Order: sequence, then C-alpha cells, then structure tokens
Amino acid sequence: MSNYIGKTIEELHELLVSKKVTPLELAKEVIEEIKRENTNAIETLAEKEALEFASSLNEVEEDNVFWGIPFVAKDNFATKDILTTASSDILKDYIPCFDATVIAKLKEKKAVLIAKTTLDELAMGGTGTTGHKGITYNPYDPTHTYKIGGSSCGSASIVAQGIVPFSLGSDTGDSVRKPASYAGLVGMKPSWGRISRYGLFPFAPSLDHVAYFTRTVKDAALVLNVLAGEDLSHDATSSINAVPDYLKDLEKSLNGKRIAYIKELNESIKDQPILDGMNKIKDIFVSLGASVEEVSIDLRLLAAIYPTYMIISCAEATSNNANLDGIKFGPRIGEEKTYQEVMMKARTAGFSELIKRRFVIGSYSLFKDNQEELFLRAQKIRRIVVNKVNEILSSYDAIVTPCGGIIRNPFISNDNISDKLDQGTMAIENHLAMGNFAGLPSISIPMGLDDGFPFDVNIMTKAFTESECFNIAYALESKLDLKNIYAKKVGE
Amino acid sequence: MVKYDKALLVKCANNLMFDMSDEQYEVLLKEFDVLTKQMELLGEIDGLENVSPMTFPFDIYTDYLRDDVEEPSLSKDDILRNAKDVVDGQIKLPKVVG
Amino acid sequence: MNFEAIIGIEIHVEMKTKSKMFSSGKVSFGEEPNTCVRPLDMAFPGTMPIVNKQAVINAIRVSNALNMKIDHELWFDRKNYFYSDLPKGFQITQQARPIGSKGYVDIKLNDGSSKRIHIERLHMEEDTCMQHHMADCTLVDYNRAGTPLVEIVSEPEIRSGEEAAKYVDAIRSIVVFTEVSDGKMEEGSLRCDVNVSIRPCGSDKYGTKVEVKNLNSIANVQRAIDYEVSRQAKLLLKGIPVEQETRRFDEIKKETVMMRKKTDAVDYKYFTEPNIIPIRLSDKFVQDAIDTCPELASEKYERYISLGLSEDEANQMLQDLSMNRYFDECVKIDSSKAKLFWNWINGDILAYLNKNNLSINQFKVSPDNLLSLIIMLEKGELSFNQGRKVFENMVIDNASAIKIADELGLKQNSNVDEIQSLVDSVIDSFPQSVVDYKNGKDRAVGFLVGQIMKASKGKVNPQIANKLVVESLNKR
Repeated sequence: MSNYIGKTIEELHELLVSKKVTPLELAKEVIEEIKRENTNAIETLAEKEALEFASSLNEVEEDNVFWGIPFVAKDNFATKDILTTASSDILKDYIPCFDATVIAKLKEKKAVLIAKTTLDELAMGGTGTTGHKGITYNPYDPTHTYKIGGSSCGSASIVAQGIVPFSLGSDTGDSVRKPASYAGLVGMKPSWGRISRYGLFPFAPSLDHVAYFTRTVKDAALVLNVLAGEDLSHDATSSINAVPDYLKDLEKSLNGKRIAYIKELNESIKDQPILDGMNKIKDIFVSLGASVEEVSIDLRLLAAIYPTYMIISCAEATSNNANLDGIKFGPRIGEEKTYQEVMMKARTAGFSELIKRRFVIGSYSLFKDNQEELFLRAQKIRRIVVNKVNEILSSYDAIVTPCGGIIRNPFISNDNISDKLDQGTMAIENHLAMGNFAGLPSISIPMGLDDGFPFDVNIMTKAFTESECFNIAYALESKLDLKNIYAKKVGE
Repeated sequence: MVKYDKALLVKCANNLMFDMSDEQYEVLLKEFDVLTKQMELLGEIDGLENVSPMTFPFDIYTDYLRDDVEEPSLSKDDILRNAKDVVDGQIKLPKVVG
Repeated sequence: MNFEAIIGIEIHVEMKTKSKMFSSGKVSFGEEPNTCVRPLDMAFPGTMPIVNKQAVINAIRVSNALNMKIDHELWFDRKNYFYSDLPKGFQITQQARPIGSKGYVDIKLNDGSSKRIHIERLHMEEDTCMQHHMADCTLVDYNRAGTPLVEIVSEPEIRSGEEAAKYVDAIRSIVVFTEVSDGKMEEGSLRCDVNVSIRPCGSDKYGTKVEVKNLNSIANVQRAIDYEVSRQAKLLLKGIPVEQETRRFDEIKKETVMMRKKTDAVDYKYFTEPNIIPIRLSDKFVQDAIDTCPELASEKYERYISLGLSEDEANQMLQDLSMNRYFDECVKIDSSKAKLFWNWINGDILAYLNKNNLSINQFKVSPDNLLSLIIMLEKGELSFNQGRKVFENMVIDNASAIKIADELGLKQNSNVDEIQSLVDSVIDSFPQSVVDYKNGKDRAVGFLVGQIMKASKGKVNPQIANKLVVESLNKR
C-alpha cells in the first residue's frame, strides 16, 4: 500500500516541506494509483503535463500549502492544451486554448493537476452513469450495485479512494453535495459568484457553481481560500465581496447558534441510520451550546423543487449547448451538403438520448406560448422557494438536512421523472437544489456509516457566510469521528 | 400552452438540430406527460400570482462595465485547431445559401 | 384607388469601439480573416460575456440624440436560433428592456415641411460572423463576431420613399457625429431593413408586410420603397393579394426581388441572459455620457448660423465629417472669422485638395497658420494675389503667413507715413498730373497710383496709395 494515500492537504504539505517526499515523487505515485483505480473515474490522465510541472517544483514553499499538492478536476473545466470532453462525444476531441480561472489559480499556487475526471454527460445528470465512458462506480461498493451519484462522479471517486486530497467539481442541483454523501466526502458549494465560473462548461448558469470535494472541513476551507474571489475580467457574475481567511472562524464556539431542521424532510427519511444520524447530530449541537428547532416548509413546495429545477436547468442548458454545432469544434461526420447537415449530424451523433430529451424539454418550456406556464412559472416557484429559505435563515444560523433519504441508491431507476415517486421522496432526494436556487453556501459532511457505506448531512447558511458554514461543519466533524474517511480505511 | 404530440417533438428536436429514434420519442412523450402534469400542479402553489420570475439567485446588481480595451487575438492555431475542415485560415462549410 | 404606404425601418449600426460588445477582441474592419478573435467570439465552452463600457456610452448618446427615455438598468436576453454565422447558437440582445425607448427624430422634407418620426426602441446587441461565399463552399471568418451593434426601430410612421431616405439620413448623421459609427452603408456598418405595406387611403387596417433587405445606400432606400409601393399597388389593383415575404433590392434592375416567403414566425425562445447580472447605471454615468457627447449635426448647424453662415453654407459644412472637423478647429481659435474660414475651405483649399487628389486629413496647413493668412489679408498686408502665393507655399511647409510673406518679400506696405512720402515725391515728379486733376481729369489719379506702385515694386497697398493721392491732390 502506498505511503501517501488518504493524506489531507495539510498532511501532504508537511511531508513536502520536510522533504520526506518531493512533488515529483508524489505526482508519480498518484499517477500509478490512478492507473490502478477501477471505478472508471478518469477521462484523461495528464501524465506528461503533471510530471513536467511537478518536476519544475524544486523550491519548497513553506507558506503555500498547495505547493506540489496533487488534485484532479471534473472534465468540464477548460484546461489549456489538455483534452476536455465534458464526458460527451460531441466534445470527445476538444482541446481548450485557455485555463478555467480555478485551474489557473491552482496552477499559480503550484498544485499539480493529475487528471480530468468523468461526469454525467455535460454535467446534466445525477447518477454517474451517463458519461460517454459509461458508469463510474462507487469505491465503497465493490459489488458495483450502488451509485456514487453525479454529476461529479469521477472527482468524488478519486478523493473517496484517498488518491488525492481534493478535487474540483461543479454543482447545479446537487452535483457535488449528493455524490459527497454517497462517497463519504466533504462536498462544498459556496455562494453563487464566490468562485469564478470562467472556463466551467455551462449547464445552467443561473444555478451553476464551482464546487469541490475534500475529506476534511479544514481542507475545504483551505481550498476556498485559493478559489474564492472576483474575476470581473472573465466572469461578470463573480462577486466583489471581500474574501476572508476561511480558517479564521473554524474553531469558533457554536454556543447560542440556532439550527433549523426541516420537519417535512426528516419525516421523508427512508433509512433508519439517517434518522439516527440526524438525532445524534442534534445532540451534538445541543452539547455544543447550539439549539435545534424544527421548522416547516410545505411538502408541496419541497416536492416542487425538482420539476422547477428541471424546467430552469433544461431551458438554460438547451441554449448554452447550442454552441456545440460541429463547426468550430466537435465532430464532422462527413458528406454534409449544407451547414444544417453539419449541425444535424454532429449533434445527432454527439449527444446521448438523455441529453437530447432534456434539450427538447428545455426548448419547449421556452416557447413563447409556453413560457408563462413553464419557464416563467418555474422561475416564480424558484422565488417562492428562495423566499422561504431566506425567511428561515433570517431567524436561524443554518439549515441542516440529510443529503437524501436512502443510503444505498441502486443503479436501476435512473430518472426522477416518474409519476410513481411520492412527494416525500421527490422532496428529500432533490432538496439540496434549494442551495442553487438561492445561491447559498452549502456543505455536505459525513454523518454516518452504515455497514461500511457512508452518508452525509448538509449545512446551508446565508449567502456569503461560508465562514459560518465551515465553522458549524468543523464543530460537527470534530465530534463525529468521520474525519478524513476513505474507502480503503473504512474497508479495513 | 402549445399542445404536444410526437410530430411537435420531432419538429422541436429538429429545430435544435438533432434527431432521435422512434422509441426515444416515445420515452420523451411519457416524460412530457409527467413533467407537464407536475408543472400544472405547481400552478396551485400559494403565492404564485404575487411573485415575479427570478433569474438570479439573489436580487443583485452591479455597476461594473468593462473598459473598452482590446486584448491580443488568439493565434490562428488556437482558433482553428478544433475545427475539422479548414481552408485558407478559415473554417470551411458547405456553401451557405440564402 | 389611392394607397397609403406604411413603412417601418430597422437600422443596425456597427459601433466603432476598440473592443467588441462582450469580449476584448478587437473590432476590425477589413483585417485578415480570423486575426481579431477572443475565446468568447468562438463560443468556446466556459467563456462568458462582459459588457463593454464604451458601447453603453455610445448607446446612451444615440438614445439621447433621438430624444429617448434611457433605462438606467441594463438587462440582456438571449435570442436563440441556429445559423452558420452565429457561433454561440444565440445572440445576446436586449429584447425585454432596450436601453432606449420612445423617442423621435424630426426630418426635413424637400418641400420645406418637417415631420416627426417616432422611434420605438434602441437596443444593444452583437454582430455575427462574416461568411465568405466561394464557388463551392462558404468560409467563416470570426473577426466580425461580437462587434457591438445598436439597433434602432422606428414606429411604422414613414409614408414614402423620400421620408424613409430622410429618416435614414438623420439617423446616419447622428451616429456619425456622435462618433459611434462611420455610418457607411456601402460597407455594411449601417444596415437597413425596411418593412413596407400599403392600404387604401383612409383605411386604418394594416396591409401585408413585405421586408426589403440589402439596401446599401440612402438613394437605394428611397428607390426600393418607391418601387415596392408601386409593385404592391399594382398587385392590389389587379386583385392579387400581396404575399408576406422577404425581398432584396437589385441594384442593376433597380427593383426588389423575392428572396424567400415568410413561413410561420420563428420562435426565438428569448430569456434573460443568466451570465450578465443587471447593471445599474448611476445618474452621473448617464449624464456624463450625454455631456461629453460630441456635438450633433443639428447643434453644429445652429452654432454655424449664429456665427454668421447662411443656411446653405452651414449645411454644406456638415456634409463631410473630416472637413467639418477642420472647420471646427479653425472656428475654435477665432470664431469671428467663421465666414472667412468657410470661404477659404470651400474655395482655395477644396480646389487644392481636388487638384491634388488629397483628403482634408492629408492637408498640412494648420488652422492657426490659415488664420494668420486671413488676418494679413484683412489688414491689407497682402494683396489678394499675394495671399494666393503665400497659400501655395503654406500647403507645402505649413509655416505662418508672416514668415512666408517675409521670405518671398511679398509683404504689402500699408504704413501711411511711408506711403505719404512716396506719394509726395511722385506727385512732385509729375506736376502736369496736378494740373490735369484740377481740370477734372480723374485719370490722373490712376496714373499717379500706377507710378507709385512701379516705384515701390508693387509693395504698397494700392487702396491706401489711392486714398492718399486723392487727399494730396485736393490739398495742392
């Protein structure tokens, strides 16, 4: 077994500074581990680039915890001169000519990008099954029966295997925070605008967030310290709010904090260990001097989140992905007699069925005569949900919810679009999108293990109060004994 | 709302510049049934008449505008490297008429 | 039956900003294909639009010149459609909230009357790629992709080809004088789409609309509309309905020809651009944009009239922007000489430029040197012919008139004392002339002045010499 598996950013930094390992040795080892990994988590291994960059890191930077730290990124972040496919055939040979802002920032900090990871095609899915390379498996489940979730499946898997300490993902509905739960990770989605989206392939810009996985809350705070900040020359939606040091409030007392549980969600939990976990956490909060109260949100409104999310995200997505037309990039199938044929052939061959269906749904809801009842109605419901969430957060410091109602989610039943789903399931399985609707900081952290299979709890706080979010998560983490878990360690 | 049937979905897909198989359209029709029904139910949610549509996660505004300064062009290589058919430094298409 | 034409015009104006509407790519004209392109212009995934400040300032200025209500909050929308020249698969525009709304412009018609044309909206958007159509393929050049545009949409209040031409000319004048665009229709930097329908006079129902494109001059706007109105009238008189279609103007045949039938209206599936959060413009920003706006043609016109130019002269000076700029620089250093500057510019300067096939931008003489020439002539220090000589030299080395006159020894003597002594000595030399003068022979004066000019080698101011001769003769 490798020496550096399961190490956090902080731990690796100490090893690098004390020269127990060099960035190059570390990169080599990570590359070897990635070659051996068997969850189908990798789109592109950037071996040559990683080794070249790591071998250029000769001067130890004691004050820079990211110096020489290996990481992987979801394959929907533009990486200059490195294949970036969004796990879609329509981009299967697309090579960007620029770096996403987050990639550039990490490069500047001399973190080493090792690989690009799989996702649900174009990030439009939550199953980890729809990328062009097929299913990405959950390292906690050697039987390959249960999902790791998506869309940031590959990035979740690599961190859950302990191979790297953090990875980049994107979160439009819950695409980091839900797989974080299935993979026992810390999954952080900060406020909308907190991290520049420049270079993130858009799915639904009004809901899209750069998000990421770590295995400890402190590492999550460290990563945000690097990624946060305005980027107005590339992303006009990036926030100019000052970026605090996210480590600063980590250890503050929770004394007097007011925590809201949502009654209707807790009532929709299917698996007992999740309910037990929520109760245990309640006790921890109380023991730390915080209070926990149940508040109510109309179950109909909670169940409305998913269709609302579908309409808004599909509508925006159909437009965002209209650039994928086979002209500037993407496949040319051949024998085209008109430009329309160029587009038709490229898009027919380039998108999977699921994507096409979502585009049609999105397009239909944008029809002039349909907008009132579909797109605009969804945008109105979004406001009602946001108003409700913000109303709760005006009286409470955080909303704490289970990431889902079931621990193990089998690969059968891929879609949420089924009239067989009851309202409670619709609500609990999709409620994390509240954080996208309202652009709030939202962090998932491990809450429990059920026979070696992890599940997370989620904490949401007011917009741009990431410090608060980390503070609460850190306090919980320190009482839960689930810090820095990964598949092998749990397996042992 | 525009009534949907298979023909409309085909037209809609073709307007989006792709096609699907018959079976795929059938699946899509079912999806439409569920989703439109769900959206219809959402019409009954309290307070719908009293709110305006929300595009952005918060009601935010900016006063930022980009100064009118040009930056160097991408190289031709960067512009064209992902295009499959290039002639004389330009992307080639079948002749566009009308 | 008499018909009335109902005409609405959409004008797209390409802005002459340095960078594009939403990217920092260079706004280019006639550069090598694909050499002015930023990632957004290629619609590379992950690129995002950032609004150009100067484009907003330009839109405010034109809106203000068109007496429009200016929205202090900017919202953008996506217009979704697929086309080979549209890299993103959508165009970013301002569908729901145009920056300018409800304005008007007054046009002057040939019969001297004026008419107010109301303008529905003005909005900002971006241009598409340039397509070069070859024999067997089309080549796509991304230089133009993203060039800032303003679109100006008139109310359907225009009633004739003449009105349309005057309207387009008025808009062109505004965008040119506000320095928003070069307004060159023939190069496509100002593009007109005209909607024409007709109806029987007195009717208040609209007829079927025909759109006419490809109008590359103001004259063609008028020709195309006149043709189209009579075409539609002929059809209706024969009982044939006008079909809804898009036509273009064929310059050679001087008629409109069918491009395509209009099928059902395209649904552009507009929605708010989610990558541009609403931009609030402060009152100060808007006011500054207006206050620092270059002077409009109409404002210049009023100013020139107040400086003493005739209406024709003032209008004439607004025809050519470069010429106008030169004139304004001249007037700026001495506005009391406006008329004299005008005379020079439209006389000798224009003649010189035409003869040498030059533009005013290549004209070397600086306004202050031109002024020095005008002053010397006015003071009588140079004769008119001497002035011309000085000018001929000035166009070569742009020196002051005083210096040139000195070098050429051309300076005319207007010193009364010096001339008086010359007069006295000449009269003394020709006593018979005094006798002739006293006997009523006025020719004597001319003879004496001629002798004075001869003696001074032509350097004496003849008017002064004449005056002094007469005075001296009367005294004797």
